[in-house]
Amino acid sequence: MTGFRWLARREVLRVSKLWTQTVLAPVLSSLLFILVFGLSLGDRIRDIDGFAYSEFIVPGLIAMAMVQAAYNNNASTIYQARSDRYVNDVLSAPMHPWQMNLGFIVGGFVRALMIGTALTLCAIPLTHVPLEQPLALALAVVLSLVLFSALGTVVGIFAEQWDHTAFISNVLILPLAFVGGVFYSVSLLPSPWEELSHFNPIFYLVQAMRYGFLGESDVSPVLALGVTAALAIPTYLWAQWLFSSGRKLKA
Amino acid sequence: MPPALDTRALTKRYDDGTLALENFDLTIPEGSFFGLLGPNGAGKTTLINAVCNLIRVTAGEILIFGQPTTALDARRQVGLAEQDINLDRFLSVRETLIYHGGYFGMEKDDAEGRADEMIDAFDLRAKADVRTPKLSGGMRRRVLLARALMHRPRLVILDEPTAGVDFELRTELWRYIRQLHSEGTTILLTTHYLDEAETLCEEIALIRGGRLIARDSADGLRERFGADSLADVYVKAMATAP
Ligand SMILES: Nc1ncnc2c1ncn2[C@@H]1O[C@H](COP(=O)(O)OP(=O)(O)OP(=O)(O)O)[C@@H](O)[C@H]1O
Ligand SMILES: [Mg+2]
Repeated sequence: MTGFRWLARREVLRVSKLWTQTVLAPVLSSLLFILVFGLSLGDRIRDIDGFAYSEFIVPGLIAMAMVQAAYNNNASTIYQARSDRYVNDVLSAPMHPWQMNLGFIVGGFVRALMIGTALTLCAIPLTHVPLEQPLALALAVVLSLVLFSALGTVVGIFAEQWDHTAFISNVLILPLAFVGGVFYSVSLLPSPWEELSHFNPIFYLVQAMRYGFLGESDVSPVLALGVTAALAIPTYLWAQWLFSSGRKLKA
Repeated sequence: MPPALDTRALTKRYDDGTLALENFDLTIPEGSFFGLLGPNGAGKTTLINAVCNLIRVTAGEILIFGQPTTALDARRQVGLAEQDINLDRFLSVRETLIYHGGYFGMEKDDAEGRADEMIDAFDLRAKADVRTPKLSGGMRRRVLLARALMHRPRLVILDEPTAGVDFELRTELWRYIRQLHSEGTTILLTTHYLDEAETLCEEIALIRGGRLIARDSADGLRERFGADSLADVYVKAMATAP
């Protein structure tokens, strides 16, 4: 287990050495969203499901900030380690493939948790957002972060160029998050947009997080958590398989 | 006593079809100072990468001190300095060594103490807290070697450690590697400098096109090829190889 602990530590060290980029920047940009959309425009938007707009958007914004950080972290740390080839120092070490996979995942996890905690601590005094279901929230956070850290790992392993990692983020994650009910309740959407939203995987993750904070969501929390888990587990296993088979990591 | 390294019918075909090693058998006894010589593209680095779990082996078997490379204990015995410098760009010299020690199972106190030893041995004291991208080429080479030796491996693999290294560092390195060898560490060295191989290595293997052409002591090779120098041996061996 020693090797695994040091790899996890290395990943956390990287996050903390780059903390202005890895933690501060995403916290500030999400806070801007909360301030601009929630507090300044919020008065002109009517309450959703009985929550002030500023409260309503907080869970989704925190979810977005966290999953993007988890994804970006792992995609970039693995891509860099591959392209400078210092990943070899890990691959040649006496570690099990699962320890390598989990060690990298810890980095994305910790970074996202720092962001999520900082945002929650800022959002509570600003918007008075409640924390209704802490257990469900914790579960939603764990599942979402496993999903997106592992996705980052997979993309970091497959990427042939740096752009590829950003491409997935800009073309897949960001748009799906925007139409995933972060800024509105999908039940307000006309048909077929409401129904289509239910095919968006990020929608469930946002709902799970919203349930954790507000105790309310567009779909049942069990479904929301279930779908997130159903995505997280295979993605994690995919990353795991890449380490154990050596596909793409080893020539 | 099992040999330090034993490869049996080792074959590596890369995904693009390149056959880099073919039915390669090599046994390196424990405690030897072993040189691997061959032209560019002969398969030296491929062999090393196979031993260190860095490529997917197509066929064959590798035993390190009698254990397969899948055994974690086998990997702990090997220290590798790769041909191309591959240092973690986020870490300082000291961190590079300590984290490597950690990956290889060392506890914190042990790793910290050993890192200090390595920093002194490789004359890196002044740069200990500098991040590796800010080091000169020679300094990086030193860190690479210090890292390979950090976890006290019983088999040290050095892939062209003296390429692009100045005279002074090369002499220092030779002295350091010899000392390691005298303490019982098995050394596997690749080099394109035949004089280096002749001075350092007790046994030499000549390889080309992924196949073993000959293996013997420098004297033995000279006798066998009827040559005056190792350079002659090399030229003759490469010319006669299929
Ligand atoms: N990742 C790879 N994909 C495809 N072919 C490769 C790869 N790495 C090496 N090769 C090929 O395998 C063969 C052996 O290469 P290798 O790097 O093992 O040679 P070498 O003996 O270390 O040469 P050098 O002295 O130049 O370092 C070469 O033909 C090389 O082009
Ligand atoms: Mg080579």
